[in-house]
This record gives sequence, C-alpha cells and structure tokens, in this order.
Amino acid sequence: MASYTSPFAPSTSKPGHGSIRIALLPPNTPVLRDVSYQYPLKLVAPDPLSPPESSPDDKSASANRHVAPSLIHTIFLLTYGGGIVAGDAINLNIRLDKGTRLILLTQGSTKIFKTADPKLVSRQKMSAHLQVGSALCYLPDPVQPFASTAFAQEQIYTLEDGGGNLCVCDWVTSGRSARGENWDIYTYHSRNEIWESPSKSNGKKKLLLRDNLILDKNGQTALGIVARMDGYAVFGTLIIHGPIFASLARFFMVEFEALPRIGGRNWGDDTIVPELSQREKWRKEREKREREDGLIWSAANVRGFVLVKFGSRDVEGARNWLRDMVKEEGSVGRMFGERAGMCLK
Amino acid sequence: MNIPTDDHQSLKDEIVDLERRLRDAKAQLSQHEPDITPSAIRNDAALHPLLLLADSALPLGSFAFSSGLESYLAHHKPSLPSASQVSAFHTFLRLSLSTLASTALPYVLAGYRDPWNIETLDNDFDASTPCTVARRASTAQGRALLQVWDRSFKTQYDGATKGNHAQTNGVHGGTNVAVDALAAFSTALRTSKNVNAHLAPLWGLVTRILGVPLHDAAYLFLFSHARTVISAAVRASVMGPYQAQSVLASSELQDRIRGLVEEGWNTKVEDAGQSVPVMDLWVGRHEKLYSRIFNS
Repeated sequence: MASYTSPFAPSTSKPGHGSIRIALLPPNTPVLRDVSYQYPLKLVAPDPLSPPESSPDDKSASANRHVAPSLIHTIFLLTYGGGIVAGDAINLNIRLDKGTRLILLTQGSTKIFKTADPKLVSRQKMSAHLQVGSALCYLPDPVQPFASTAFAQEQIYTLEDGGGNLCVCDWVTSGRSARGENWDIYTYHSRNEIWESPSKSNGKKKLLLRDNLILDKNGQTALGIVARMDGYAVFGTLIIHGPIFASLARFFMVEFEALPRIGGRNWGDDTIVPELSQREKWRKEREKREREDGLIWSAANVRGFVLVKFGSRDVEGARNWLRDMVKEEGSVGRMFGERAGMCLK
Repeated sequence: MNIPTDDHQSLKDEIVDLERRLRDAKAQLSQHEPDITPSAIRNDAALHPLLLLADSALPLGSFAFSSGLESYLAHHKPSLPSASQVSAFHTFLRLSLSTLASTALPYVLAGYRDPWNIETLDNDFDASTPCTVARRASTAQGRALLQVWDRSFKTQYDGATKGNHAQTNGVHGGTNVAVDALAAFSTALRTSKNVNAHLAPLWGLVTRILGVPLHDAAYLFLFSHARTVISAAVRASVMGPYQAQSVLASSELQDRIRGLVEEGWNTKVEDAGQSVPVMDLWVGRHEKLYSRIFNS
C-alpha cells in the first residue's frame, strides 16, 4: 500500500470535511480566506453584507465600541439530500480572525434519516476557533431526528484568551410529528463545549462551559425516551457570551426575572390596570403566547455566559418565541442584519 | 401457679446448666470456623465510615434541597387540589436518579480514582452545571462535606489510615495521596475564586480517604440522593413517613441504583451529561416559584 503512488494530485479534503476561515484585511475589511467542503457537506456563501449599524451617524449604538467590521459574512450549512444519512460523518472547522463576524445558517431543519443498525451512529462535528473580538451568530433550524435514528453532534468553540463572542443555539425536535413520531429515536447526543485556548503560563486549555444532552436507552427509567420528555416536543439551549452580545444576554436575564411567579394567586388586582409601557405590553402578550404554546424556559448567568434553556409543546411555538425575544431586544438585527434570524422565520 | 421451692430451685439449676452447655457447644463450633471473627473485623472497618456517611444526621444540609421536586410538583398541579401526587412523585424520583447518574456519578468515580485531578474535576463539573439553583445546592453540600471532614473526620482518618485501614479495604496505599490532594484543594478553595467545591467529586475523594469501597461510595451517593428526595416528598406532604420508608426499602429502588452504578461505572467525565432535558427547566425555574420550602 505504502509504495503505491497516486498519479493524481493529493487531495486534502476528506469526505464530509469542510473548513471556513475569515481573515481581516486591515483596517477592518474581513475576507473569506477559505471555504472548502467535501460531499456530503455543502457550504454556500452568499455575498457579505454591510452591517446595518455601520452608518457613521449611529454613534450612540453600544456595539460601535467594538469597532464593527465593514462586512459581515454569511454561510449556509447544507447537506446533499437535505439531511444526514446513517453513517455520515461531517466535520467542519471554522476560524474567525480578530474582529471578524460570521452568521451561520441552515436551510430547514437538519433531518436525521433512519438507520438499520442502532449502533451505526451518524456524526456531525463543528469546531470553531474565535480570536478576540470576533463574533459568531449561529441561530439554526432545529435538528429533527426521525424515528429509528442514531445521531451524535458536537459543537466545540474555542475562545482565544477567553475572548470572542457567541450567540449560538442548539435545539432538537421529537421527529416528524405529522407522522406520529415522538422521540422514537435510538440515540441522540448533542454536545456544546466552550474552551479557553491553552494559557501561556501552564499550556492547559480550560473548560468554560459544557452542555451535553444524552438521549439513549441508559438511565434505568424503565421507560422509553418519550416518557422522560414530559410531553415536550422541542428542547433547546441558547448560549450567549461576550461584550458584543452583552445586551442580548442582559435582556434574557431581565425577562426571566420578570416572569410571573409559578403558583402565584391572582388577587383580582387586574381590574386596576396601570399604564403599561410598550415593553410591558409586549411582555404580557409574550407570556400569554408562552402559556398557549406550552413553552417554558429558564435563564442563568453562569461563568460569564448566559445560558437559556427552553422546552415547548411544538416546534413553531419555540421558533416564534426565540424570534420574538431576539427581535424585541433588537441588537442582533442591528449588528448582524436581518439575515441572522432567518432560520427563526 | 405455685411451684414448690425444691422444684423451683432444680429448674433454675437446669437452666444454668443448659446455658453453660450451649455456650461450650458454641465455643467448640467457632473453633472449627476460624473465619467468622476476623472477617467481621475486616468488614466493619469499611462499614463504620459507610454508616457515618449514611447517617441522616451528617450535617450536609441536604434537608434544605429537593433537587427540583418542589418545582416539578408546582409544574404538575393536579386538576383537583385533593388528588394524590404520589404517582407524579414516582416519575420524578426515577428521572431525578437518572439525571444524577448521568451528570454527577462520573465525577464521583473520577474523584475517587484520580485524587490529584480534583481541581479540574471541580472546574469541569461547575462548567457542566447549567443553572444557578443546581450549582448552589451542589456547592453548599460540597463545602459542608469539607467542613465535616475538617472538623470531625480528619483527626481520625488523617493518620490512622496508614495502619489497618488502607490495607484491609482494597484501597492500597492510595489514602495518603487522597489526603494530600484534599488538603491542597482546601487551601485552593480559601485562596482562589475559581474553586467551587462541588459535592460529586469531593464525595469520591472523601469516601476514598475514609476507606469506603468505590462501589459502595457510588451506591451511597445515589442512595443518599434518593433519600433526600423522598424525605422532601414527606415534607411536601406528598406521602407519609411509612410510605416513604417503603419506597426507600423497595427492591425497585435497589435494582435501579445498582443498575445506574453499573451503567455509569466506565463513563468518562467528558461524557457526563443531561439525560432528562426537562430537569434543567424544573430546577432552573425553582426560583420562580411563588412559595418555596426548599432551596432547590
């Protein structure tokens, strides 16, 4: 084998591998230095757009402190056939240089197709390396594992010197509910990790956050996976970090604090309606929709991250809620443009 | 019923005689079974610390936590206020044990097996605990365990373990390493802001120092959790104390704990994670409850 010399040029691309690199041309022009991919992965990069907030008269905007780049790149993560087939392995590397920004999107839910062998696990791995001052906004469609599937995905973010800004969501649905699928999967694992790059002093990288969801037959519950889900059809995690997303992070914390108490009594004070601010009106309407859609959520400020968890009785309820929250706060739209929230429409 | 005095005396004599013969017979028998006594000694060296840790009077403050039960019950109010919540409780207990085994048990095992890694384990467990309520509960109990070690167990187990202890229970020569690692960790806790003192890895480390076999340490970790949740159910008026004891004694619970220890025995800490996603929501939303009797 070793003595065989291929007449073709060596290919560095392996099946399912892809890489994205955004570099910065001084003073502030980001360029897509590399975007490559190999079947079954496909990356589509539309023309970069100027951020809405870059207009010079908008000095009051908080994000201007972060020297916004002149262009924001967008990349769609796609797979041939619109989903992941049993045995597929996807491996994507992303590198964002200092001061660059990237919007990652999907086109429809990531469908996981049936496997004949429960032990044959399809995999998707994304590693993103963020230099100080760079930002990744990744608000994709949910993963939709069909019945009889085995899938494991990893999203590993490395923050150089602990810098870098993240607004990333990871959510999963119960399958094709129209076909009566309801968490009829073999296994579903999704791991989100955020690491601080190795420090110069001891050369060790440090785990900042790990969010690892494990759905499989283990757990001694003597019940199927669906019985652990308490009737919810969607679970999601939103991770927010860094100064660029500080306003969004604060917003989620404030709204969580403002949620009505569970089991609180109605003392009939509603008859005296105080003058509500616009935000309070929006909040009341949102809370009403949360109740109707059977959506519950929590937010926590831990280790410099705001971690939002949500569950919902159906997909659209969760999608609408997330869009509503991001839109009402507004900073993502102002800094990244409407495109950033495309998958939530 | 009057027995004549003579007969009375002879009966007494006969009893004394019979008792003496029984004693002799037992003594003779035990000479032929020399194993009984030494093995009993060997067992109680490991049994004693197990009893210490299993004691509900161990001041870890566990009674203050319901591990999400209170929030779960608030999210599952029966339509009739008088309806029983017992079946809801059973579901919760199952899910809660499953969650604890998937998230924390690997850290117990790693804390025991790899004492010098305690600081990294503590950091990684902290990074993996997604909500404020759960972190507070875990560090409160971890710090309490350190206190108990420092104030109560240390004098006995710090040096004494060099003797009979370490050799007789299967933790060969590793106890002093663990004592040193724990001392270093305690120092780091006082001096560094980045140390949290989560219960799971410390439970592993302390049980190792006390000479509790690893399997027992893991079993007790899950058992204590079940006991805490069941006891919370009693105080939340879900069930009475006798019913609670019967749940705790049930073979169903025994099998579950045993199965979870077996399942998690080789799980690496990197692969620890949430197996019941809605649990994070129940625990995280505990602070949104209108009225609370527990801290978690």
